[in-house]
Amino acid sequence: MSYLFDEEKGARYLLMGNDAIVRGALEAGVSVASAYPGTPSSEIIENLSKASDKRNIYVEWSVNEKVALEVAFAASIAGLRSICAMKQNGVNVASDFLLHVALSGSRGGIVLVHCDDPGALSSINEGESRHFAKMIELPLLEPGDFQEALEMTRWAFELSEELGLLVMLRSVTRLSHASGNVRIGSLPGTDKTACFKYDAVPGDQASGPVVTMPVPPHHEALQRKLKKAVALFEKSPFNTYTGPEKPELLIVTCSACNLYSREAVRLLGAENRVGILKVGTTWPLPPDLIRKNLSRTDTILFVEEVLPFLEENVKILAAEMAKDIGVKTFHGKNDSTIPMTGEMTPDLVVDAIKRILKIDYAPMPETFRNKAREIAAKMAPVRDLTFCPGCPHRASFWNLHNALEIDNRRGFVCGDIGCYTLGLLPCGFSTSKTSHSMGSGIGIASGFGKLTRFGMDQPILAVCGDSTFFHAALPALVNAIHNKSDVIFVLLDNSGTAMTGFQPHPGTETDAMGGNVPPMDPAALCRSLGATVQYADPFDVDATQAILLRLMEEKGARVLIMQQMCALSPEKKGKKKYRVSVDQEKCIGDRCGCSRLCTRVFRCPGLVWDADKGAAVIDEVICAGCGVCASICPAGAIVREEAV
Amino acid sequence: MNAAGPNELRAEVFEKDLCIGCGACVSLCPYFKNYNGKTAMLFPCTQEEGRCFAYCPKVEVDLDAVSRNMYGEPYSMDPIGRYRSVMKSRAGKMVTRADFQAGGTVTALMTYALAANKIDAAVLTGRDGLLPIPAVVTEPNAVAGFASSKYTSAPTLAAFNQAVREGRRNLGLVLTPCQALALAQMRANPMKQKEFVDPVSFVAGLFCTWALDYRSLRDFLVEKTDIKKIQKFDIPPPPAGVMEVYTESGKIDIPIDEIRKRVPNSCDYCFDMTAEFTDVSVGVFEDSTAWNTLVIRTERGQAMVDGAVKDGYLEIGEMPEENLAHLKLAAGNKKKRALERGRGQGMVKTAKEGGRAAIRIDGDIAGMA
Repeated sequence: MSYLFDEEKGARYLLMGNDAIVRGALEAGVSVASAYPGTPSSEIIENLSKASDKRNIYVEWSVNEKVALEVAFAASIAGLRSICAMKQNGVNVASDFLLHVALSGSRGGIVLVHCDDPGALSSINEGESRHFAKMIELPLLEPGDFQEALEMTRWAFELSEELGLLVMLRSVTRLSHASGNVRIGSLPGTDKTACFKYDAVPGDQASGPVVTMPVPPHHEALQRKLKKAVALFEKSPFNTYTGPEKPELLIVTCSACNLYSREAVRLLGAENRVGILKVGTTWPLPPDLIRKNLSRTDTILFVEEVLPFLEENVKILAAEMAKDIGVKTFHGKNDSTIPMTGEMTPDLVVDAIKRILKIDYAPMPETFRNKAREIAAKMAPVRDLTFCPGCPHRASFWNLHNALEIDNRRGFVCGDIGCYTLGLLPCGFSTSKTSHSMGSGIGIASGFGKLTRFGMDQPILAVCGDSTFFHAALPALVNAIHNKSDVIFVLLDNSGTAMTGFQPHPGTETDAMGGNVPPMDPAALCRSLGATVQYADPFDVDATQAILLRLMEEKGARVLIMQQMCALSPEKKGKKKYRVSVDQEKCIGDRCGCSRLCTRVFRCPGLVWDADKGAAVIDEVICAGCGVCASICPAGAIVREEAV
Repeated sequence: MNAAGPNELRAEVFEKDLCIGCGACVSLCPYFKNYNGKTAMLFPCTQEEGRCFAYCPKVEVDLDAVSRNMYGEPYSMDPIGRYRSVMKSRAGKMVTRADFQAGGTVTALMTYALAANKIDAAVLTGRDGLLPIPAVVTEPNAVAGFASSKYTSAPTLAAFNQAVREGRRNLGLVLTPCQALALAQMRANPMKQKEFVDPVSFVAGLFCTWALDYRSLRDFLVEKTDIKKIQKFDIPPPPAGVMEVYTESGKIDIPIDEIRKRVPNSCDYCFDMTAEFTDVSVGVFEDSTAWNTLVIRTERGQAMVDGAVKDGYLEIGEMPEENLAHLKLAAGNKKKRALERGRGQGMVKTAKEGGRAAIRIDGDIAGMA
């Protein structure tokens, strides 16, 4: 039985944090779920979509995070419970709306799940999203383990309704993607009706129009709600203390760092010396709880990920309470006991406790550690970040790189967010020279394209995937076209949101629940905006480079759609178009005339250098059969035959 | 001892803006491409020594070695290089009239060479608008279509390299001095390739004072005329001070100063006005646009001229002493200027001097420059 539908209260499942959040939402009777995909948050909506039918939930992959939150909010003020998920920087995109949601208030429980990515394992930033709770004045919850992920999510909807306010629930990669034992609760009925009531006077939270004006009373109401949240948080079972009554050291922690802290204390055998205050309601902080726990000892260590959010907020309270609780010694990120960047690990916590309590502990003898490093350096193969075998982006960047070099005017590509972000690395021939937020490639390019009056004569290109196109590139493209910016916008259309797992987007024919929806045609959109639009198949390298070279001679906003399906696309079903082989007699190898172009420069993982034979070979197991390498071989040694 | 590879080529030639885009390094490997008159290196290469560097006419050219390989003698300090004779010439009655720059001598010689099977194919340079486009021609009648000067530097040797890769041999070429110098180096097989066979049977050189940068000229002329419809360029002798651009709708005169701005940096260091490493060299004839000056340098150049005259493709006449003196003065001035400039900047060295040189000459450079 799937954990999505099991009615047996108390049944145990091994669940990922994101699954536990899903189950919590189901137990809360969620009716609407929306998101824009982004690691590590994507599985939440993906799994809710599987329950869409049976649990009567409307599930949507929205065009971007702001619209996703707007969609969820509509459900809330129509009296339903809704959830919206996004990655850390998605909150930045949604934040303008979020500010107004806080002020207007909500009705049905609405929970914003935002998953941070400490260490940027799947991001190009290490953004901290918790400050939005403080800045925008919203309650913030942080589950400290997998069971809490379920229970806290379930409770977040009740809290939201009790306060008439959206509740933020923050996860991190190691909670969202790691798994643990979870005991499930019961599922409610699925019969719901929606109606937006607006007949009462504005300001009537239950049935008036939902607006933020006049602002001062709304703002006062918001602050009253937060005071009520504080009172509830003082009694919350999600704030726990474990350890001796009067420890030598108090760890104040939250989220996955709770687990690291517990493990570290156990590893050090310091259970009798260290106490752990795990805070689940991290904004607004409940002062009585903090006072009580800070009074236990004078040495405090904060263990948390990304920025010192908990640390700084507790310190403010401690300053206010100093008269009662005395002067404390604080350790954490601000005094570098805990690193300011990157992921936390139990080792880092062990290290911090060791130094504070002067405990002698060696997790691994130095000689062993050095030997392990030495062996790893010698024997582990170098693994660069790279595109998959047969990835259209490799061919696209090959074409972009070569055309830019051949054109010879120091042209460049402004990168964007997707697998093709790797265009800035050697696997993309280091073609992209900027890389920022979603849609900002064409935005930056739009600016570059107006610098001709200052003598800038470099060709300006921007790349963007089909999903990112709809997410945030469109306004920037409109800007470029309207302002007559000299840019070439290259849409790398691989027919899906490939990086996060082929979620549908407005250009696809299905929605999150598998239903048919009208696909938007990016070419028609661009043409209607006034841009010239051309198509190219990136696997046809000569033709694509010729088109690029021609486009670079033109002015104004030009759109080129490079169309080729992702090598991993479920629609391809792993089928190879070509059987590829190398005629080793013809292969020039590392001599003058080739210098291993295919295995040294092009570097598709399907191409292997056989040093003994001095020739390239195809790794048939991973070769995707795209046949591009046959087009780039200067000796015609790579042969492709149509696969039958 | 001065051999090097593509990365040095990039550093010494491309990054110093000395590449003239002759195409000598193009079509040998996937790393070099010529586009709009400029050659680019697409990726770093790992060869410590490469043909690209060895063939390049702009870096480490050992003029004595090139000369010995071609003429059996070290480099001559004669302003017009080594030669057997100089005469005037023009196309004979066997040559269809075409839009010749002057007397049509080059068209005549290449048409004859193909017609008489002295060569199997000719590597020539045509143009599309202002853009020079090299081509391999096998039909004698097609040669005339490539007549007249191009004025923008052309990757003619890329087409030559491609033709050789495709197995063509017994080739004739029409080349500018820099291209001819690169070809002369290629023919010496500097990389000591075992399978090397000289694929060249005849080279006609063109007098050249400088070329023009295609993009720069295009961007300048595109404001003034439809560049696709340009029929011919000419620079009449002083004191005209203009470049004449002939179009369907008449002639446009461009002040020579506007044109000179568009001469690549590389031409400032070129010592060769008369294409010294060829079988014959052809240029204008001072007194009449109906004739050319013809410099015969080699035995096979002589044989080609004799054959062309005998079969009615070429007419020849005596070169007045005074004209030859003028030619030598002009060529000598170019040579002196270039060598002085290059010597001053450490680019012209003797064989023994250390560091990287553009050209090396063991003769009396100091006296010359």
